[in-house]
Amino acid sequence: MFLQQIINGIVVGSVYGLFALGFTLLFGVNHIMNMAHGSVFMWGAFAGLYAVLGFEAPVGVALLAGMVAGGLMSVLLDLVAFRPLRRRGAPEFSAIVSSIGANLVLLAVAQKVSNTAVMRFPFDAFPVVVYRVFGLRIQLLQLVIMGVVLLMVAGLVHALYRTEFGRRIRAVAFSEPTARLLGINPTLVNMQVFFISGALAGLAGVLIGLVFNSVHFGMGEPLLLRAFVIVILGGLGSIPGALIAGLIIGIVQTLGIAYVSAGMAEAIVFLALFVVILVRPTGLFGQAGATMRVRRA
Amino acid sequence: MIDFFFTYESLFDLILVNALLAMSQYVVLRAGVFSLGTAGFAALGAYGCALLVTRAGWPPALAIAAGMAIGTAASVLLALPLSRLRGVFQAVATLAFVQIVLSATQNWVELTNGALGINGIPKVVGLGTLTVVTLLVVAFLVAMGRFSFGRALDVIREDETVAVSLGISVPRYHRIAFIMSGALAGLAGGLHACNSYTITPGEFGFQMLVNVLAMVVLGGRTSVWGALAGAAILSTLPELFRVFADYRNMVQGVLMMLVIVYLPRGVADSFIVAVGDRRSRQASAVHGPRHETAVSVVHAAASDAGVRP
Repeated sequence: MFLQQIINGIVVGSVYGLFALGFTLLFGVNHIMNMAHGSVFMWGAFAGLYAVLGFEAPVGVALLAGMVAGGLMSVLLDLVAFRPLRRRGAPEFSAIVSSIGANLVLLAVAQKVSNTAVMRFPFDAFPVVVYRVFGLRIQLLQLVIMGVVLLMVAGLVHALYRTEFGRRIRAVAFSEPTARLLGINPTLVNMQVFFISGALAGLAGVLIGLVFNSVHFGMGEPLLLRAFVIVILGGLGSIPGALIAGLIIGIVQTLGIAYVSAGMAEAIVFLALFVVILVRPTGLFGQAGATMRVRRA
Repeated sequence: MIDFFFTYESLFDLILVNALLAMSQYVVLRAGVFSLGTAGFAALGAYGCALLVTRAGWPPALAIAAGMAIGTAASVLLALPLSRLRGVFQAVATLAFVQIVLSATQNWVELTNGALGINGIPKVVGLGTLTVVTLLVVAFLVAMGRFSFGRALDVIREDETVAVSLGISVPRYHRIAFIMSGALAGLAGGLHACNSYTITPGEFGFQMLVNVLAMVVLGGRTSVWGALAGAAILSTLPELFRVFADYRNMVQGVLMMLVIVYLPRGVADSFIVAVGDRRSRQASAVHGPRHETAVSVVHAAASDAGVRP
């Protein structure tokens, strides 16, 4: 039973990690906290769901639809909410306020579109196959989720550290003026980073929607709050930090819900966040002064 | 006229409670502390006051004072570690605090009744009390802004390096501003509890945090008038446009984005600066142009940073 909960926790935690990865990437490169990231996640889940409901798309296509929708939504956010501020060199406060405003709009539209209803994937959207290994129940869906997350993370790490594209992103993250001097267009790079971050959020949205089989307009907010915990715990801007902290939070939360209560689990998670911020603001994997960069593991 | 007041009494109550909350948020932002803790302190103040009245049978006035004391105590405890942090970290730490308070109000059912909230609080705070309290707080904050204390906060917000070079202790002023914010929010929470018969955890959630922040951003975060104007506008807006009730959040979101992008100083502060500009231009017409250049240079430099010259 305990091991079973651990496995469930790892599956949920890896999706949290995926979501937090986009969040931390945005912070590492653009130095902004995107408070509308939860809404991008929710819209990704919506896109995946509507692809299944409207076009009877297979799950693979639904995941892709979620990614593209999330990515585009995120780029739109960049254009409307962040770029005007960046151009003016406004303080970080402005970006947070502006993204809170954007979040309200995205939430209100989603509430209108879905009529505040909790929606579900059709029962046969994903074949329910359960494997039994040493008395543990492992669903095919859980294996697929782990596979997708691993694939995305490996792809992202490869893109960031082994390609010309990633080199440009890291250059902008390191210093925008320097990157500009080297002939890199920071505006374009920022947009690409927004797309990647949004695509990860959208994918996480469809995955979470499948795991809990529920999609509704308020699903983004708790995840965003959890993402705060994850990125702070892992160190702001740190990619391995986000993944490992995501797993930790996923496991702690699942165990907490199973053995204590949902409310206590929440309180424990935020208490942990508070302690981490006070004792070690750079997180488990951050280094003082290096928190603003997309660091290499 | 009297009818008008009776019809809209609850709206005025709402505006005044929101004004107190907005001023709690304004105090920290003026000092450059990015705290989102107002909602958490308000919840502590409201629940403290409501529980003391309904369970322990305290007289309401004393209970409201206790609510304020609880808010203050919580902010004192938080202020010490928080003054070590900056910017985003302050925001996240205070957000965590709000979430901890919220999950306590929701899950500590024996004490707080959970999601049902606390009912049957006697309504002893009316429009009169709220007006008097708000006026006192406004007077206090305006006076504070006129003395060196307010100037010190302004310097810290604009440039911490300059503040340090002037011998201003940044952590000390951050702490004082944060504690004032906690006291004000606790007071607002206590008054709100004794004004509305019932309180529920949902009122103090993310929504309140966003609302209060939106008020200060919309009105302006460098003068008390900004917080007041923001509270008045955002509390009245849903009443004026009842037809668009469904779109309330959308309108608020669009307003926040537009204001922060195109009017970064907020409505009231932009107005104050515009009036100041006009005065100085008139003055220069009388006293010659030298004065004007100096003033306009200051204004140009201060235009975006949100300074009130």
